[in-house]
Amino acid sequence: MEILRSVIALLIFPSGLLLLVAGLAYEWVDRKLLAQYQNRIGPRWFQPFADALKLLSKEEVIPEGVNPFLFVGLPIVALAGGLTAALYVPIWGLPPAYSFTGDLIVTLYLLSLLALCMGVAGANTMDRFSLIGATRTLTQLFSYEAPFLLALLGPAIVAGSWQISEITAYTREHWLIFTQPLGFIVIVIGLMGKLELPPFDAPEAETEIVAGALTEYSGRGLALFRLGKGVEMVIGLTLVAAFYLGGVANPLWFLVKTLGLLLVVAGIQALLARLRIDQTVGLWWRYGVLLVLVQWIIMIGMRIVL
Amino acid sequence: MKTEEQKRELFTIPIGPQHPALKEPGHFRFTVDGEIVTDVTVRLGYAHRGIEKAAEERNWIQNIYLMERICGICSHIHATAYCLGVEQLANVQVPPRAQAIRVLVAELERIHSHLLWLGVAAHEAGFDTLFMYSWRDRETVMDLLEDLTGNRVNYSVNLLGGVKCDVSSEQIDAIYKGLEFLEKRTHHYLDVVGTDAMFLQRTRGVGVMTRSYAELLGAVGPTARASAVARDIRVEAPYAAYPDFPVNIILETAGDLAARFLVRIKELFECYRLVREILNRLPPGELVARAPRRIPAGEAFSRVEAPRGELFYFLKSNGSDKPERVKVRTPTICNWTSVLKLAVGHQLADIPMILVGIDPCFSCNDRSIIIHRPGSEEQCLDWETLRQYGQVKYGNPT
Amino acid sequence: MKLGAMISDVTTSLFRKPVTERYPFERKEASEHLRGRLAWDPENCSGCGLCAMDCPAGAIEVVVIDKQAKRFACHYHVDRCTFCAQCVHSCRQGCLAMASDIWELAALSRIPFELWYGDDENVKLAMAGTPASEAQKSGAG
Repeated sequence: MEILRSVIALLIFPSGLLLLVAGLAYEWVDRKLLAQYQNRIGPRWFQPFADALKLLSKEEVIPEGVNPFLFVGLPIVALAGGLTAALYVPIWGLPPAYSFTGDLIVTLYLLSLLALCMGVAGANTMDRFSLIGATRTLTQLFSYEAPFLLALLGPAIVAGSWQISEITAYTREHWLIFTQPLGFIVIVIGLMGKLELPPFDAPEAETEIVAGALTEYSGRGLALFRLGKGVEMVIGLTLVAAFYLGGVANPLWFLVKTLGLLLVVAGIQALLARLRIDQTVGLWWRYGVLLVLVQWIIMIGMRIVL
Repeated sequence: MKTEEQKRELFTIPIGPQHPALKEPGHFRFTVDGEIVTDVTVRLGYAHRGIEKAAEERNWIQNIYLMERICGICSHIHATAYCLGVEQLANVQVPPRAQAIRVLVAELERIHSHLLWLGVAAHEAGFDTLFMYSWRDRETVMDLLEDLTGNRVNYSVNLLGGVKCDVSSEQIDAIYKGLEFLEKRTHHYLDVVGTDAMFLQRTRGVGVMTRSYAELLGAVGPTARASAVARDIRVEAPYAAYPDFPVNIILETAGDLAARFLVRIKELFECYRLVREILNRLPPGELVARAPRRIPAGEAFSRVEAPRGELFYFLKSNGSDKPERVKVRTPTICNWTSVLKLAVGHQLADIPMILVGIDPCFSCNDRSIIIHRPGSEEQCLDWETLRQYGQVKYGNPT
Repeated sequence: MKLGAMISDVTTSLFRKPVTERYPFERKEASEHLRGRLAWDPENCSGCGLCAMDCPAGAIEVVVIDKQAKRFACHYHVDRCTFCAQCVHSCRQGCLAMASDIWELAALSRIPFELWYGDDENVKLAMAGTPASEAQKSGAG
């Protein structure tokens, strides 16, 4: 019975199929918002679904010189990491499917799995563009992870626990966007870095290195990576909304808060030009870490005083 | 000093012929060390269509339309240069109203070209919003050109001896209204390009070309004007109606990418001023003068200022109704060496920006070039020798 | 130096309708000077053939049936035409004009692209000399 419950939780609800569909839907909302900001129409509602279906039905071409197990297996691992991470976050406004002490750390590692898999997948091939894309992906991973993690751990400190459900119980009463504004800024920018959205899309800069680490992928592998990105977007937005925007108490609040956050994220995407990879690293290690450390000092100082 | 093994570690990145950074095919090999470029070679010729040879099979009138289709963005200026050359050979006096309308369409085309370039350059930088907005505003000038000439691209306004279409008062009103909107938007773009912090990070100090270097490499057009080299054919050797409607040269001294952006946007203001002046003082008269079908023998050349720089046409006639030789030298060919020299030492991410900074037009520049090295003999291969040469070189005896 | 110089554009666009024209559901009126499909009026034609000589694409042919009696037909290849209007200006009698409202010329076969202009008997005689027996006839005059 327990196994059946786990399988259903992982494959259908709350993770699995429903999350995949939601990932595609959020991708559509993001593209439509970006189009609206740029004064144009944007794609119709079924565009990401059509893309995913088309890619899944195409032949997967395995290039020469790669390790075929890695080539075929990495997209599966990336998507699996994303789907598993959804089991521990309060997705859809419902309490997480599984909860234990320290599941925040587990979730963060699972979320980094996607970027890591993309980096290894790019390094796996002989293609110049993929190698440069892989280098950039991994460089970006090392640069935004530190501030992003620290900004996520800020709410954990004030809530006094490493368990997501307890943290959300605390943040439901205290809106941390007002008490930790610097942390909020860092985590929103960090989310954009994690999802490789402009202005941090140097790893997949279309006009420089074609498609970055995913240049050689086609068919099923590419579809799984893109589904993984959609899933990661939903989970990332859920975490930020749950920690900083006063928790997600029920499905309606979940939709309102995550979509509102997506509005802001799409606005930042539209507004800024792409940064070079060295500028991204410089930005993160100088301003990102600085801001979040200042936030931590304020937070710890207030705890000692009060 | 790098050992042989370390040298082999250097990467070669091919950009093109198919690449999202290039709008047209061209092949660049960048040798990179990490993210820094150490060497560049270029190979062109992918868009060669044999236009100069095809021009010898068509009569003088049909060639206007062939020359127009060398390039889509600077089509009118190609046809104008050709017509000016033929009119020189045939000694035809074009009426002043026709010359003014030619210059009017040329300036509207320059507006269109610079707005297009702004969008493409912003797209290469990853700034898609500026791309979308500048192309939205470009639709205004394309609608004006459609209303004036009958087509959005390839305006086909020129005839040998004049122009085809006239300017009515409703069209003049529409142009004034369109220019008002465009001027407001151009002020906004000047503000964006000059002050947006992220954009400046990508363009300031990138691809700096000093004035002496620009003169040495023979750069032309806005690329040279951004390095304070005052070259503008409309000012140095005015043609068509430019003696009556003089132009101010726009110069910048920084010589980097930001300066190239600023030069082109400021030239837009100059275009708006010029178009308004032409519409205010449009000379009355006829639109076309009779030109003979058989052009007298002789040679002529015409130089005009295309949106990208100096465009040069050489025409040779042998007295018949078909030209003997048409030679076109486009501005992009002159600007390529500057890219090759500037790219070394920059990061890979700056390369698309440097490439697009000279406003490359690959379709324009694929003509045949003969390079004379001092001391070497000129080699002329006939068809049979060329075949043998190809078979030997590629190891493929028939 | 400011961050996000296009913020005014981006935020006002959120509340505006997109500027894209939803063709074919919304159609903008074409300008009256648009160079659309060619039309030939045989009334003043003298059969000089300058239009055919000057066409850069070989899209127009004047078939002479009887030059003394001024009987001509005109064969127009829409798919070769570049819509440059050189023929309109080469003709000294003003027989040619480009329609500004016929510009949606896409078709699924070559048949709509072979147009014959002229009086019916002239066209029939002209077409008898050509192998395109299924070509459409477009009466004009």
